[in-house]
Amino acid sequence: MIVKDWCSFCGECAGVCPRNLIQVREYSLVFNDDDCKDCDTCIKACPIDALEKEE
Amino acid sequence: MIETDVIVVGSGPAGSSAAKHAALGGAKVILMDKKSEIGSPKRCAEEVPVKGLEKLGIELSPRWIAKRIDGMRILTPDGTDIWLTKDEVNLSGADCVLERKVFDKHMAMDAARAGAEIRIKTLVTGIEKIENGFIVETESMGKKEDFKCKILIAADGPEGHVARWAGLLPAAKANEMGSCVQYEMCNVEFEKPGISEFHFGSCAPGGFVWIFPKGDDIANVGLGIIPHKAEKSPKEYLDDFIAKSPYLKNAQAVELNVGGDPAGGMTKKLYDDNIMVVGAAAGQVNPLTGEGIIPGMIGGMYAGQVAAQAIKEDCSKKFLKLYDKMVREELDYESKGYKEVQDYIYSLSDEELNELGHALHEESFDEISANEVLKKIIKISPKASLKLGKLVM
Repeated sequence: MIVKDWCSFCGECAGVCPRNLIQVREYSLVFNDDDCKDCDTCIKACPIDALEKEE
Repeated sequence: MIETDVIVVGSGPAGSSAAKHAALGGAKVILMDKKSEIGSPKRCAEEVPVKGLEKLGIELSPRWIAKRIDGMRILTPDGTDIWLTKDEVNLSGADCVLERKVFDKHMAMDAARAGAEIRIKTLVTGIEKIENGFIVETESMGKKEDFKCKILIAADGPEGHVARWAGLLPAAKANEMGSCVQYEMCNVEFEKPGISEFHFGSCAPGGFVWIFPKGDDIANVGLGIIPHKAEKSPKEYLDDFIAKSPYLKNAQAVELNVGGDPAGGMTKKLYDDNIMVVGAAAGQVNPLTGEGIIPGMIGGMYAGQVAAQAIKEDCSKKFLKLYDKMVREELDYESKGYKEVQDYIYSLSDEELNELGHALHEESFDEISANEVLKKIIKISPKASLKLGKLVM
């Protein structure tokens, strides 16, 4: 996952992740990409479009 | 390894309330927060009912009250407004707008003064269930440390991991998680001072736009939407709303806030052996207004009280069920009705909202409350009376 530099670490993505794969630290997000099923729920939920899928 | 009775993860108002009441009850408490500054950045519109604070026994302080609110103004898409102000109604249901950065710290200080130990800048990276307790793994500025506790209280917000690691379901399903954006702005013009505004309709699908005054020309201007009902991002909806509003034509943002609001009601399972969940992590949010400070702090208070008692008696789920009972008695009847009202309001088209607005515009109200407005809506709308009639007495 690409986290844009305007992310404010609000945690909305982590809150909606159905597999609990996103850890919100104070100033960073840690994704467990290995277990991600690409459901894109987090990308759609971000209030400020700060997440982008890695191609 | 550091051993303690109770660990509270997350020092928002719910977590601090839990830590305070657990410490007051005689338990040894550690309150942890990942942030370097408790209360910042805020993820909240900051308006709370004064009655709620009083019920929690919190003395109002000018240090964290930005503005006392004198009433509400509800607007429909064509600009029709419904006023509920103190000139005409009983003010007992009035609100105030907080300065969360100060309020949250003040609540954490209350917990500390009651005897809780506070660990800021401490991230919980994992938990492990052990016999009669939990091991809590943490990281603080590169230093890893394990803690052992008998009772774990998860107050880590809508994104919280702790409850989910313990096998309890998260607060909101993705389709119930409100997505919120807000600016704190100055140069805001008001029709009347000290009135909080709520704008409904296609300006915020599945939610509303709020303008909550913070004194002088300052206000929180924000919105919450339900993403799957929306066509744009919340920020685009908010920027569009601001561009069209005559009251905000000179307004300048000095702060941007974002965050999720679990608007789907309280989680089914709030506890298990040695663990309780409170606040937004437990969906303790008014599903109609999205307000979570008071419900979260009530949840925290009961969890803290039960934790202190459990330490002396029994930390199993059999005993912790008491927390569930106490908090549901206080919050559930509200959330149940409000959820249906929420579904009803968000099912209305702009035209239907305008019609309601026209019918209610000249009405007068006895009290400032959502319930009061609903009673009137049911009187004039057959659709509303069909869907909501049994909820409002």
